[in-house]
Amino acid sequence: MKLLTRTIKQFFPAQKTVSAHCDGPCGVYDPASARIAAEAALSMTKKILALDPNDRSHATANSLSRFITIKEEQAQLAKTDLLVLWTDYFKPPHLEEYPDLHDTFWQAAKLCSAVKVEVNLEKAEELLKAINKIHTIFWATKKREMPYYTAS
Amino acid sequence: MVLNHREFSGMRESKGKEIFLWLIRLRQRYRVTGASMRPLLSAGDEVLVDPQAYLCQSPRIGDIVVARHPTQAGLQIIKRIKAVREDGDYQLQGDNPDPAQNSPSRVPAKLILGRVTSRFAPAS
Repeated sequence: MKLLTRTIKQFFPAQKTVSAHCDGPCGVYDPASARIAAEAALSMTKKILALDPNDRSHATANSLSRFITIKEEQAQLAKTDLLVLWTDYFKPPHLEEYPDLHDTFWQAAKLCSAVKVEVNLEKAEELLKAINKIHTIFWATKKREMPYYTAS
Repeated sequence: MVLNHREFSGMRESKGKEIFLWLIRLRQRYRVTGASMRPLLSAGDEVLVDPQAYLCQSPRIGDIVVARHPTQAGLQIIKRIKAVREDGDYQLQGDNPDPAQNSPSRVPAKLILGRVTSRFAPAS
């Protein structure tokens, strides 16, 4: 029976399609979600660096552990949000207008990874700059004036 | 809000009866695109849909349905019914646990075209 249906599918594929693709239906994109996550990761990086490495108290160990967890979560979230924006929102005509689009996203995604695995203030700040650039491109493609701002 | 609940229980493969119903045109065959119904259904899977499933009874929570998209003309979506709203609309959502792949949509009953009854063939 399986062979039969597979054969039918192979030679006479279904003509009608149904979309199990969320982003088609919702169409709501905004680089702000990545920016908020990246800001949180930057904030956690600062908080980790502000801890005294010589303080061996449980309280400090606890704080450090929590800061690391949140930093990694938020950096990963920023990366996911950026990748969704990159692969689902942006289309080939955008690339013609912004030839460095792919590189911008690639570098930003790499910065997310670095912010996640390292405690690197410079890269966390660089990530926000990259997201600022993406914000500018994104809203330019929508032909809307959208001032960039940060929560912190 | 929740009227009743059909337990999640995988997806049946199309067997004799389903294929017979398809041959006499009581089932429609669709190809799935996108990943919001993963892991149950993947892009490229073909499913059979009963367009008459809801003539005599209402869609139930847990059913996988094909519906017209409420705002995008021509787009048909495949989702699971998550909830029935008090105003009679249905809350549809994919199975995929990744929120990036999944967002709920709300559709009125008249846009629901049928119930997915089995998987005809998996993506090759």
